[in-house]
Amino acid sequence: MKKSRVGLFSTVNIQILHKTIHLLFQTLPFLFYGFSFAIIATSLMKIKLNLMKKIIFIFLSFIVVVSTVNAQKGINFNLIYAAGGKMLMCVDSSAKNVVYSLGFPNQPYTSFNYLPEVNNVSISINFRKNISIQHYRYTILVDNKPILLNKSIDMSQLKDTHAGGDEEIFRSTTFGIFTIKDKIITIITYDIKKPQDVYKNIFYGKPIPRAKVLSFSKHFKTDQGVDYKWIINPKDRTRIALTEKEDELTIVKDISDIDYLYYTTIKDKKNNKIIFESTIWRYGGIISKEHEPLPNINIDKNIFKKSGDYEIIIQPRIKWTVSPKEIEKYITRYTLSVTLAEENYTKKELYSYALMAAFVIGLNFLLILNAIKRRNKKRLTVEEQQKNTAKLQLNSIRSQLNPHFLFNALSGIQNLMNKNEIDNANKYLSKFARLTRNVLDDKELISLSQEKTLLDDYLQMEQLRFGFKYEINCSENLDLDNVEIPSMLLQPFVENAVKHGISKKATNGKIIITFTKQANDLELTVVDNGNGFDTEKKHNGLGLLLSESRIALLNSIYKENRFTLAIQPTPNGTKISLTLTDWL
Amino acid sequence: MKAILIDDEISNLENLRTLLQKHCSQVTIIAAAQNINDAVDAIEKYSPDLVFLDIQMGEQTGFDVLKLLPTRNFEVIFVTAYDQYGIQAVKFAALDYLLKPIDIEELINAVNKAEHKMAAQIQNIQLDFLLQQLKKPETNVSKIALQMQSEIRYVALSEIIRCEADNTYTRFFLSSNEKILVSKSLKEYADLLRPSGFLRTHQSHLVNPKYVKSWLKEDGGILLLSSGEKIPVSKPNKDSVKQALQKL
Repeated sequence: MKKSRVGLFSTVNIQILHKTIHLLFQTLPFLFYGFSFAIIATSLMKIKLNLMKKIIFIFLSFIVVVSTVNAQKGINFNLIYAAGGKMLMCVDSSAKNVVYSLGFPNQPYTSFNYLPEVNNVSISINFRKNISIQHYRYTILVDNKPILLNKSIDMSQLKDTHAGGDEEIFRSTTFGIFTIKDKIITIITYDIKKPQDVYKNIFYGKPIPRAKVLSFSKHFKTDQGVDYKWIINPKDRTRIALTEKEDELTIVKDISDIDYLYYTTIKDKKNNKIIFESTIWRYGGIISKEHEPLPNINIDKNIFKKSGDYEIIIQPRIKWTVSPKEIEKYITRYTLSVTLAEENYTKKELYSYALMAAFVIGLNFLLILNAIKRRNKKRLTVEEQQKNTAKLQLNSIRSQLNPHFLFNALSGIQNLMNKNEIDNANKYLSKFARLTRNVLDDKELISLSQEKTLLDDYLQMEQLRFGFKYEINCSENLDLDNVEIPSMLLQPFVENAVKHGISKKATNGKIIITFTKQANDLELTVVDNGNGFDTEKKHNGLGLLLSESRIALLNSIYKENRFTLAIQPTPNGTKISLTLTDWL
Repeated sequence: MKAILIDDEISNLENLRTLLQKHCSQVTIIAAAQNINDAVDAIEKYSPDLVFLDIQMGEQTGFDVLKLLPTRNFEVIFVTAYDQYGIQAVKFAALDYLLKPIDIEELINAVNKAEHKMAAQIQNIQLDFLLQQLKKPETNVSKIALQMQSEIRYVALSEIIRCEADNTYTRFFLSSNEKILVSKSLKEYADLLRPSGFLRTHQSHLVNPKYVKSWLKEDGGILLLSSGEKIPVSKPNKDSVKQALQKL
């Protein structure tokens, strides 16, 4: 399958056919893959289309000479290649790299056959029955020198040929067998009724020359008109600066017999994108020393959007069957390091850059704004929180009237009731109510007289339980009704005195509370004659611990006034003094 | 019944004495004590049938009295004003307690119960159990005393699969397939067993997470237990139950 080459008009078509058939065979076992199936289906449709268009060439290419195998000069006559136009050829059976029937978009009626490994080639021409063969003339050139000129077809040599089993019969004759090694054979045919349509079949037995750039030139405007700047025989890597005035770049290629075979591409090396492609060579304007017009192309400066490296690639338009390394021998590469005086931005790019810049600036602005806002908010909330937590903690500590005390106090009242001491029960019940109300009230500050009542109530309730004595003394120069202190300030200390001081001493116990004015300071003291407590052993008891944290909290809220707590043992008990600096 | 009253506050002693004389005629108060040493002496001297014991007494506790006694051959009714920890342990041991100020009805009930138990002579073990519980941190309790009609069962928490409310009673489902009906509400056991990781999945269900096999999404949430039983999870408890199960 692979060996019987199918001659289509161009190699592109044959490639497709090959590929599809190949693909078909490869994928047949995997037909259940739906997507492969789709590819095959579309490819088949493509083949059909091509078949319709180029039907005649397919017939030609499928001609199989069954009769006699002519082993003349090692030529394999069973394998027939389309050589372009009406021509067919057979080559050495040993030849592998046969590129045949290349057509060119800018070179009509020209077919190129590249036969680097071929020694001999047999060339024949086939005519349809309806063609007037006597009108045809042909010329054969070897290495551009004519060996036969304007010859008519020898009608006596014409034979009938079937095209691949098809019913249509062609008239065929041979031009003979030619030695092609290191030669170029060109056969020119035309119909004398249409002498302007000259068909050219080229059989190329030389290696294809590698293209060479003779020069780059910059086209620029002057006051008088235009002028050029030249870079002759450029190196593989060439720096080129394009100023504002320079608007065009020209690439000049060396001359060859087959310029039309070469095409030029320019790649942006940054992203490997092809930014320019040309299959055309211009002849004119630039001539060689021998006065021959040199092939060249003009490139608009605007294809270079940015400064940077660009690669100019000139290569023959051949679908190679050799390795990429081998192919590279035929490819010419130049690196052009372009510096632009002004970078070309497309409108789209400009818009997107502007948009991006605006976005970035905007984003930064927003971020900064947000950060500032957040920092401010954070600072504020931290401050607020600190104050709030301090207040909350204070509240929670304040409301921690010992539940053990509360229920025992109620139990004491129950006892009065059960003993039928109704008046006392009433008295203590209202004291209890007043006490709990004071505790439940969320007042931050209460007057000294209120604090005194609160302590009175509290101590009387405790008295009911333990039966000790107590006194509350206030210095005369204190305005009890107008001086305010944080509520429940002394209660925890008094409770402590009851609990650890005198509860075991019963009626012998005594507590003395004093409110004194000391210059601008307010001093509150609680003295008991209980067991006393070891000042070395700090925090003995939850009550005292709470009191100390409460003092710390008060100091964080009332920053101008300092609260100082002093605990001193006395000869027969404990003295606690709390000083409120600059309170009065 | 010979009774001894122990409380550090004289008014409380007076009060209890008045109430007992008025409402519990079967009780004869033979002594009262205001501190631990007097209490131990009085108990050893009079060997009472019943002791009313205040839990919080100054810096010491009524439990200390029990610890100091070599034998505890009497019924105890604990009396307390406010004591979270002590009460919890007492509840675990299924012992009786009264809160101050004293509710007369509760007092009568407790005295009647004590009288009842005295006949069965099971109090001693309960007190031992209580003292054992007190040695452990609250979340580390491994057993609970369940007061049944005529006996007290000591059940390891790991044996309890689940509890289900039955009116004011609670039915315990044990891993041995046994069911125990206790005359206390599920709420009480929920409070008691929550620190040990038990999950209140529903108004009438308390589940030991150890026995939860999987969470079924049907009907908004159901727990499948390794016993095969399906326990509903009510909407308000859904999130907390889910969270608790994820932590396991």
